[in-house]
Amino acid sequence: MSEELTFWEKLARIDRRVFYWILFIGLMVPFIRPLGLAITVSPSTRDLYEELRRVQPGDVCLINIAFGVSAWPECMPATAACTKLLIRQGAKLIIIGPYYDVDLSYEELKRRCAEDFAKLKYGEDYVYLGFYAGGEAVVAQLASDFRSVFPTDAYGTPLDELPMMKNINKATDIRLVLSSDTGDWCSYYIRQWRIPYGVPLAEIGIAMLGSEYMPHYRAGILFGMSVGVRGGAELEKLIGEPADATIRMDAINISHILVIIAVLLGNIGYFASRGKRR
Amino acid sequence: MSEVLRREVVYLITAITTIIMFVEFFFIGTWSAAEELRTWAIIIANIALGLGAVRLLAEHVRNIQRRRAGVWPFSIWLIILFVVMFLSGLTGYAAKHDPSSNPVYNWLFKWPYTSLGQTLYAITGFYIFSAAYRAFRARNIDAALLLIAGCFVILTNATVGEVIWSGIPVIGRWFLDYGQVPGMRCFLIVAAFGMLAYGFRALLGRERGFYGEVAGE
Repeated sequence: MSEELTFWEKLARIDRRVFYWILFIGLMVPFIRPLGLAITVSPSTRDLYEELRRVQPGDVCLINIAFGVSAWPECMPATAACTKLLIRQGAKLIIIGPYYDVDLSYEELKRRCAEDFAKLKYGEDYVYLGFYAGGEAVVAQLASDFRSVFPTDAYGTPLDELPMMKNINKATDIRLVLSSDTGDWCSYYIRQWRIPYGVPLAEIGIAMLGSEYMPHYRAGILFGMSVGVRGGAELEKLIGEPADATIRMDAINISHILVIIAVLLGNIGYFASRGKRR
Repeated sequence: MSEVLRREVVYLITAITTIIMFVEFFFIGTWSAAEELRTWAIIIANIALGLGAVRLLAEHVRNIQRRRAGVWPFSIWLIILFVVMFLSGLTGYAAKHDPSSNPVYNWLFKWPYTSLGQTLYAITGFYIFSAAYRAFRARNIDAALLLIAGCFVILTNATVGEVIWSGIPVIGRWFLDYGQVPGMRCFLIVAAFGMLAYGFRALLGRERGFYGEVAGE
């Protein structure tokens, strides 16, 4: 016959489905009543913003969309905020991506920055070169010869027929790179663009990448960094346009608080039941 | 070609490629052979994409033929979707040089794929939540320290931390700046030395795993 569990033992062994429901209900709260807590800007995000503000009209910037649709909630808000800022600074944009669904991400980026893109002319102010495969080798090749990787843009127009691309063919023609990713792509740009050519580089990544790239930022290799949804919310605050990331910060706050409470409950139950066993 | 000779050829190609890429890194733009090699690498990577698709189909056709328990119905589903996506994209490309010009392809990519991708990613949050409850136990002093640091960092990343107490982000930042960054830096430097050692071993033909061989064989 099984021994009946004490209250403390039960506290240490709560069924996982209970947590799923708690989180599910907790995440609904911001939809019913938004918290709207103040967002303070971290130094890495501020540095990213300040450098983008120094971009001059006509400077060509590369945006590497290295995330799939699943990472839109984390990466897209910051990418959109940076894109808006670059367009307002008068920069010319080259947009590329190593994920097969980059077309969807590009369309979503344009949708989120619709007002800004409406003022631009394709081929003169921005180009979309589309998908590229080949990992670090292709990033290295892009640095030395754009046309060997992208003879045409994503719509089949030869690069030489695009006015903006006339004198653009290598890393040194690019003012800065924004690598927005969920994996190693920023490392490839560090090794193949930043170190050999000195091209300024920033990372817009999922929260998990914050710890990976923080040493690079602190060493001055990255001029700035946006970490996860919070980075997006900070950028939205800096450009004065609260959007998706600002709304999502409520969900982040609630879920993080719930995690802390769950961890505390688990430990209280663990210590109380251990003390009782002794 | 004998097995030994074939192996030597592989070592030689690797050694020459490594030397070209290594030298080119320090004398940028001086060696067009390096650019040529990188172009080959890109071509091979693109061929690998097609090869991957063929391999995927072959694997799932085999599952169906062998009626692998619990797998073969999903293999049928995968092949059906594969064919639908492939043909709809191909017809779109044939019509207007743009796969997304086919509304079926566009719809499948835009709605089911996007929603499912984001849902799958979001579900991990639920697992992390329950895993944190079960795994984050202060069983010893090391685990307790990790737990305390983890809680401060969690509350630092969420804005609610500083609402609870203004000292939380200060302590959290301290853990990040003086704990995480130096630790990660050490890890990166050690990994870089490891990569160097691995590269030299591969160059000298001592790293057999690189060639698809098992050490000692």
